[in-house]
Amino acid sequence: MSLSRLQTATDILTAHTRAQEARAYAAMAGTGPVSEPLPLGAGAVDQCLDGGLACGGLHEVRSPLARDIGAAAGFALGLAARAVQADRGGRHGIVWVSDPAARIDGGGLFPAGLAQYGLDPSGLTLVEPCDLQAAMWAADEAAGCAGLAALVFQIKGNPARFDITATRRLMLRARESGVLALVLRQSGEEEASAAATRWRVTTELSGADEIYPRGVGAMRLSLTLERNRTGRTGQWCLAWNPKTRNFDHAASDPARQPAHPAAHPVDRLSATFDRQDSPGAMGQVLDRRRDFGRAS
Amino acid sequence: MDAHPDAPPVVVTDTVRNALCIAALDTRARARGVRLGQSLSDARALAPDLECHATDHERDRALLLTIAAWCERYTPLVALDAAPEAVRDHGLFMDVTGCAHLLGGEAALVADLEARLGAQGFHVRLCLADTPGAAWAMARYGQAHIIAEGGHGEAVLPLSLSGLRLPPALVASLGRVGLKTIGCIAHLPRAPLAARFGARLMQRLDQALGREAEAISPIMPVADLSTERRFAEPIARQEDISQVIAALASGIIEPLERRGLGLRRCRIRLFRVDGHVSGLEVQTARPLRDARTIARLFEERIAGLHDDLDAGFGFDLIRLDVAHADPFEGAQAEMMAGGMGSHAGGHGHDALVDRLGARLGLERVQRFVLADTHIPERSFGREPVAASHPGARRAASGAAALALLPDLPTPDAIITRPLILFDRPEMLQTIAEVPDGPPLKFRWRGVSYEVARSEGPERIACEWWRDGRGARTRDYFRVEDSQGYRFWLFRHGLYGRETGEPAWYMHGLFA
Repeated sequence: MSLSRLQTATDILTAHTRAQEARAYAAMAGTGPVSEPLPLGAGAVDQCLDGGLACGGLHEVRSPLARDIGAAAGFALGLAARAVQADRGGRHGIVWVSDPAARIDGGGLFPAGLAQYGLDPSGLTLVEPCDLQAAMWAADEAAGCAGLAALVFQIKGNPARFDITATRRLMLRARESGVLALVLRQSGEEEASAAATRWRVTTELSGADEIYPRGVGAMRLSLTLERNRTGRTGQWCLAWNPKTRNFDHAASDPARQPAHPAAHPVDRLSATFDRQDSPGAMGQVLDRRRDFGRAS
Repeated sequence: MDAHPDAPPVVVTDTVRNALCIAALDTRARARGVRLGQSLSDARALAPDLECHATDHERDRALLLTIAAWCERYTPLVALDAAPEAVRDHGLFMDVTGCAHLLGGEAALVADLEARLGAQGFHVRLCLADTPGAAWAMARYGQAHIIAEGGHGEAVLPLSLSGLRLPPALVASLGRVGLKTIGCIAHLPRAPLAARFGARLMQRLDQALGREAEAISPIMPVADLSTERRFAEPIARQEDISQVIAALASGIIEPLERRGLGLRRCRIRLFRVDGHVSGLEVQTARPLRDARTIARLFEERIAGLHDDLDAGFGFDLIRLDVAHADPFEGAQAEMMAGGMGSHAGGHGHDALVDRLGARLGLERVQRFVLADTHIPERSFGREPVAASHPGARRAASGAAALALLPDLPTPDAIITRPLILFDRPEMLQTIAEVPDGPPLKFRWRGVSYEVARSEGPERIACEWWRDGRGARTRDYFRVEDSQGYRFWLFRHGLYGRETGEPAWYMHGLFA
């Protein structure tokens, strides 16, 4: 086959994809939010989101470093717990789909911890497919299931296969069914996606503990709304209240700001593995550094 | 099988008392004078160009099982011949009671079976009779293919005593006293015969003559309900197969309704024209009675196969078996419980679990089960959702979920357990102020952390009844580092009492 013919074939394919995209966007613009938004409980955040997260939609929660996965999972599970609590016409159950790559060093959910966090572990269905493609299929199926309260799709990094088309498919299916679909991206870069919002979650020093000042207080997390399709972005410090299942505003204590900010910005490189467009690392970078940020 | 006219005679040899003997031979070898049981060297003298192969009992058995699976197209009751070890003989029993009319009568069934197996390249000897014993004898030593009802008693009388499935030694000793055919012993006084030759002889005789009942044990469990479709022309296209499965599924609904059952597990068996049989199974989380859902589950199951269904030259019979069905409490009970909304919701969730299980494998769709122990990694397990009891499943998906987990504390502002637990605790390098206090600094996965705040210890003793004497106590600490990362660490072993140098492990991450 000559090169020019190959070129033409590629052009046709690209045009076809563009047309599909245009149709998808038109469909998304045509239908408004399917159900009422899900408020987080923290006033300023809800105001920024015009009342809360759009329930039938896709939202991305990413942790910049692998060790922030605790905070990011905490945020995603808090949202899921609120979605279960909101009921929304008998919806129940959370489906947690994890890509096998995310399971290797990420550990697994701990039911006793979930219960203390305010989430009923028996309402959780864990799906662990054997590869990313099967995981994406499972997430698609769950996003289209109208009886479900929330779906969490845990992936690691920015796999090339989970691209904008895949996120758009998830978005459309969630919009149709009204499921709160969350992508939990461990040590992922920001990248173009069809998600309605993208949150960057890192951990924050815990609150003061009156009874035992040297102890670990209520957990806090630092939340950055990096991208919001419908409104403004912002940054907040929130604390999760397991009793009320609310995110409350917490003042980040200036006296307790991180003592040692990152020594070398280059060390904070996070995982971007199989992307052709990713910038190459300078010098020799060890695997664990990419995974676990700053080596001291 | 027909081979080239100049092809050498083929025999299969087996070792009998340290000598290679002929265990099977083809027609060309027989024409050259080779006999069964002859030693290989004698046979080579008769036919120097003999091609010989060693017996492979395992593959013989596997082939027999394949044929048995294929024979299920005639009846679900197919059993391997459980002859005594002394008789190396490959046979199958089929109970075709009530099945013959589906193929147009007994004669048609026998002719069809013989023709199809013949087309696959097998020489078969078969006989249809009232008792398994008589059919066994007639297939091997008789001529007739079908013994009329009630005629088996007469038919077996002239046959050799070997037809009674007896050990060769017993047949030989009977022969020495002049008892050579079944007819010889059928009318002799029973007591002296049994006293001299054993009760086994009388039992076999009674089984052949139908005086004693004999049960065969089918290889595959018999399905509660089956429906099948035969094709004049084999089908191979995926779409056709899906269509047939959908049609079969809709055919199974009516009998399920009549019995008040819902489907929990069912199987598709695809019979390929060349004799290969493949099976696919799906399970559902709760009794199901919807044909479209069943068909969709099978589509997912087929899509989840690593390689496509190997249709070869096509399938000429597809059967749907209901392997397990439970009472169907259906829409009525749901309506009483709480409106259509919750019904639709619950149904959607269960249907999702079924679809995921069908495509990904049941063991990949799990839920938590709790165990009664304080050791964190043992305090919970995961089990496939579909395998759990349907009643438990319903409670879990409904509002009464916490009742399943009586030991869980109600949510409190104090959090002592992490959200994420590592499957295997990871070893740390630590610097501690005092040996039994929390660490000051630790290094985990190549990064060092400075502990700013800590709580603990929370002591979790070992389970001596499981781990034995000498297992170590764990002291758990919640620590927060100077950046705000919250970890769950433990020290393995009490300093001074259990170990001189306790190791530290990372076990979990808090939010």
